[in-house]
Amino acid sequence: MTNVITSNPTIRDIEELLYDEAAFLDKADLDGWIELYTDDGTYWMPVLPDQEDPVNHISLFYDDRVLMEIRRRNLKHPRAASKDYPIRCSHIISNIRVTEQVDEITTVESNFHCLVYYNDRQTTYGGTYRHELVRSDSGLKIRHKRVDLINCDAALNTIIIYL
Amino acid sequence: MSYSTEQIADMVKPTFLHRKIYTDPAIFELEMERIWGGSWIFIGHESQVPNAGDYITLNYGHLPVVMVRDKQLNIHVLHNRCGHKGAKIVDKRDGHVNAFRCCYHGWTYALDGTLAGVPNMKGYEGTGFDRSDPRYNMQKLARYDSYRGFVFASMNPRAPDLKEWMGGAATVMDNLCDRSPEGEVEVAGGVLRYEHECNWKLFLENLNDTMHPMIVHKSVVDAANDYIATLPEDSARRDEAEIIPPFGASYEVFESTGITGFRYGHHYDGGETSIHADYSVDPDYERAMLAAYGADRTREILTYNTHNTLYYPSLTIKSAIQNIRVVRPIAVDKTIIETWSFRLKGAPDSLLQRTLLYSRLINANGSMVGPDDLTAYFRVQQGLASTGNDWIEMHRNFGQDEDQGDRLVNGGTSDLDMRTQYAAWKAYMTNDTPLANQEAQAS
Ligand code: FES
Ligand SMILES: [Fe+2]
Repeated sequence: MTNVITSNPTIRDIEELLYDEAAFLDKADLDGWIELYTDDGTYWMPVLPDQEDPVNHISLFYDDRVLMEIRRRNLKHPRAASKDYPIRCSHIISNIRVTEQVDEITTVESNFHCLVYYNDRQTTYGGTYRHELVRSDSGLKIRHKRVDLINCDAALNTIIIYL
Repeated sequence: MSYSTEQIADMVKPTFLHRKIYTDPAIFELEMERIWGGSWIFIGHESQVPNAGDYITLNYGHLPVVMVRDKQLNIHVLHNRCGHKGAKIVDKRDGHVNAFRCCYHGWTYALDGTLAGVPNMKGYEGTGFDRSDPRYNMQKLARYDSYRGFVFASMNPRAPDLKEWMGGAATVMDNLCDRSPEGEVEVAGGVLRYEHECNWKLFLENLNDTMHPMIVHKSVVDAANDYIATLPEDSARRDEAEIIPPFGASYEVFESTGITGFRYGHHYDGGETSIHADYSVDPDYERAMLAAYGADRTREILTYNTHNTLYYPSLTIKSAIQNIRVVRPIAVDKTIIETWSFRLKGAPDSLLQRTLLYSRLINANGSMVGPDDLTAYFRVQQGLASTGNDWIEMHRNFGQDEDQGDRLVNGGTSDLDMRTQYAAWKAYMTNDTPLANQEAQAS
């Protein structure tokens, strides 16, 4: 890796990436979304508030690149009954704070509210994001995202797309 | 509206069902009373309450109950209701208490539900109130019992013994437990709760519906195969690649798995083979099994391969995967499905991890399989509001169910599963003593 900018990302750099991600998800565009993740990137939505383990405990989502790639293709498949309905989202992200800067990894926590309109019903999701960001040749990328819904352990309906 | 026994009986024909059994709240209330009140209902697993004072709460049908272990380590299933003015006694999903204490006026109860203390007894003197009258206890459910750690309860004092009720379908629960080198399983890895906007029976009817996967799950199977095709030959083996593609198996493959139906509405698909049959076996697990059981018995256990097994109406298990789904009806058009996973005692962690991966890929709210199933149930629920046709049909392989004495067997794409469920439905719903007289049920 040459010509890598070694200075830590500014809050403005971080906001830009988080807002880009939100914009792709607002349009349910997983082709654009997946490009924001590193090849070893993961997306995790635990089912417990302080869940420590994605592998020895059940989760609502725990995707690596393989599942992201499958999900991206599945979303566009013409014969997926659950995707017969438009998916429209609106993400608001706020309270963005850098909570840790270790070597190349910047850990960022934020609050989010997300409205999802799907199958004739509008659902409100809310909680916190934790992003682990790294520099790459093509700019700042997401290496890990954890989504903690405040009602993660409730009986939820289908969550049709990443939040 | 209220229904006469004859009107209810008329809703289930040999090859047709009336749409109102899915849409009418009055039928739902009768089902809660006669099917959920008459049958054995899955409560929980003994491993969820390992110590004296441990409890879990849940809804039996829509009644609040608590499963608790007492000081002698016996398990009780009690109505979660105070003997005084009726408050729910415990309201956490699980916890530990030395004794139960009502939050309202402080009545206390022993762990078997017996009333232990009433504050300020003075005002009761000479009123006829007798503290030792069992009517003031937290009431026990009429029956409760367990099979290999799985606790069931019944409101029906005349219910047959649990083992008799399970009949030949108990083999599948045996297989789930025998897959542990120690012959025991324990709940592990948490629970998923998934709200379904449909009648509870639509979920059950899908369990052995093998005419749907190649249609409903085509998108995820195509997506997985598409992506797998882009990977280099020597890529690391992924469990996902073993779990997802079999959902796209052909009609012929599913027909060959077979369906077996029992009295009381139980049934399973598979046995000799299923869509779980070709999973790789962790060599450490195989070694542990061989050491525990020897070669012949190990092969017997691991090649017994069912897909979904229903213990009608509340529990469905996957023995080859060690997960279960529990049906909790809320209203005529609303049901909560819980997915629980099990650790095989004495097996490596990879087995639990595969179970959890399976649940996440197939059953989770965020998965690419369950939401497509749920869309189909939801569409049926909506479609059945139509008065254009009052009947749904279930003819597949009708007249060809093979009677093997304690069970009926037919091809995997047959509607034997539905005929089995609705024979039980009709018996429970129309018979005053549904469990005492089920002779006609399996035929
Ligand atoms: S309602 Fe429980 S003590 Fe009064
Ligand atoms: Fe399905």
